Amino acid sequence: MAAVAFAAWWVRATAAQQPPEDKKVIITGGGQRFAVPDCLPRAGDEASREACRTLTQVLRSDLRFEGLFQFVPESLFAALPPLNPESPNFEDWRSVGANILVILRAQVTGGELSVETRVFSVDGRQVMLSKRYSGRADNPRVFAHQASDDIVALTQYRGVARTKIAFTSDRDATKERRATKELYIVDYDGYNPRRITVNNSLNILPAWSPDGRALAYVSYRQGAPSVYVAHIYEGRSDNITKNEGQSFAPSFSPDGKRIAYSSTRSGGSEIWVASADGSGAHRVTSSAGINTAPTWSPTGQEIAFTSDRAGTPQIYLMDSEGLNVRRLTTVGNWNDAPAWNPSKEYSEIAYTARLEVGGFDIAVIDLASRQVRQVTAGRGSCEYPSWAPNGRHLVFACQRSKGGQWQISVADREGRNIDTLATGPGNNVQPDWGP
Amino acid sequence: MKRHIALFFLAAAVLLVGCHPKRPPAVLTDPGRTAREHPPATATPEDQPINTGPDIQPLGRDNPTGEDFSVNDPSGENGPLEDVHFDYDQAVLSDQARAILEKHALWLQNHRQAKVTVEGHCDERGTVDYNLALGDKRARAASEYLVSLGVAGDRLRTVSYGKEKPLDPASNDQAWSRNRRAHFVVSR
Repeated sequence: MAAVAFAAWWVRATAAQQPPEDKKVIITGGGQRFAVPDCLPRAGDEASREACRTLTQVLRSDLRFEGLFQFVPESLFAALPPLNPESPNFEDWRSVGANILVILRAQVTGGELSVETRVFSVDGRQVMLSKRYSGRADNPRVFAHQASDDIVALTQYRGVARTKIAFTSDRDATKERRATKELYIVDYDGYNPRRITVNNSLNILPAWSPDGRALAYVSYRQGAPSVYVAHIYEGRSDNITKNEGQSFAPSFSPDGKRIAYSSTRSGGSEIWVASADGSGAHRVTSSAGINTAPTWSPTGQEIAFTSDRAGTPQIYLMDSEGLNVRRLTTVGNWNDAPAWNPSKEYSEIAYTARLEVGGFDIAVIDLASRQVRQVTAGRGSCEYPSWAPNGRHLVFACQRSKGGQWQISVADREGRNIDTLATGPGNNVQPDWGP
Repeated sequence: MKRHIALFFLAAAVLLVGCHPKRPPAVLTDPGRTAREHPPATATPEDQPINTGPDIQPLGRDNPTGEDFSVNDPSGENGPLEDVHFDYDQAVLSDQARAILEKHALWLQNHRQAKVTVEGHCDERGTVDYNLALGDKRARAASEYLVSLGVAGDRLRTVSYGKEKPLDPASNDQAWSRNRRAHFVVSR
């Protein structure tokens, strides 16, 4: 009872320390050195210790992934006197070069996990953040992700630790139904896969709604490819193009109110824009060749897309009603699958490019300078890039060797730190990074 | 009497069981991504698949039966109308493709009940989005040529599979040329 009262007080006390909604940047600059010592179990039982091990490992890896901070090597912690979590000795942490100290404490009681996160400024000798999270103990990773996002919220960026990636996989295909692909979602680090579609058909090209509650995708479950919107928390999926012609490549506008896709209902493959429920569909391109793969600018005022109107697939820009069309890519004879960086900080578009003979690579073109930078090289064939919501990382699919399996990889926007996600069996392709 | 009561309860139990759906509706628990200080929902992930709606079977076109012909291959391969093939990144009909389509038009004149889904397929060397559009171009090229030969347009339907449904999953020239095709699935 006393504990409950304390928790209630603690929650209120910490709520008062929240930064205001117009975000105050508390951690600035790239030089901040974090110390993340091992999580301290509040009780000696194995469940608490096990939860602590996971929390430490996941929080360290989440914070590292963001690419915003430096870290004090953990090997230096052993030489320090034992940590007093209530009142850390800041001199100890200063001596190993830490500017910011993150203390985790956890306890499992009756299937319930309670985690405390405190972030101290070592230089300022004060608390920057203190949070308590409680919930079911089955997946401690979620707590670490939440803590990481709360810590990153002290910077000018939004963390990605609780974001999810949707993709399609042939892992459920059988000999009888070889063309089966089902949609899956995983945490941003590849853990916690969950199957979305269960219709034993071909389900491809998932695209998140900006609020993360829906996925637009293309399904062949009624024969012709049509765009569906799955409301994943309600267990409902609507066919929004109603089998009029064939429809592909859906993409939500940044405000979630409109959806762009390609459709053959007027003959050739053209870009169409409709309300998110499919109503009011109207064609915004008209050229004899292929027009597909629309992606919205962060303001929702422009659309980039692929067209072969000049003979080879190239990326074009237009405003969202189809006016002011101009060609963007000029290097190479195959550029497709544009993904506009959603952050207004970076004015750039990632896409799939054939830069060398044979395979494809991920490239990014700067919209102001038109300079192209190559994100992947020598990793077999990579395609279908999608940005993290904060625009600082990319996800894409790669096939390392001819005939090998397709797997999902992430990289930062410069193409450093490329990592393959263990998303599960089968060919895993067409990733879309959601909120 | 005891026996009757027992039967009553058994019947009631059966009724109750019958009232419930066989499986609970598979709905993802909202992770409460905006939850802050005490978000119990953040830590309650569900491992259930999310059922996104009715599991609608594809139309019965894959398993046609008829009086004047029959196709028993459920994969839709080896139907009465052979594939036509295309060059790399092309949707132009070759002379050989036209000759095959002329035979198909004749066959369709002799089988007036038959309807055809013309599938457009691509090899794996190309991007997803572009290949879906290229597959559509191939299916349409074949379909339009059949119409020019007198086949009624409402007997034909086009579907592009891009590189999503290769006939031969291998990664070599032979597989690629087999996979660049328009395929004809006959139904009635």
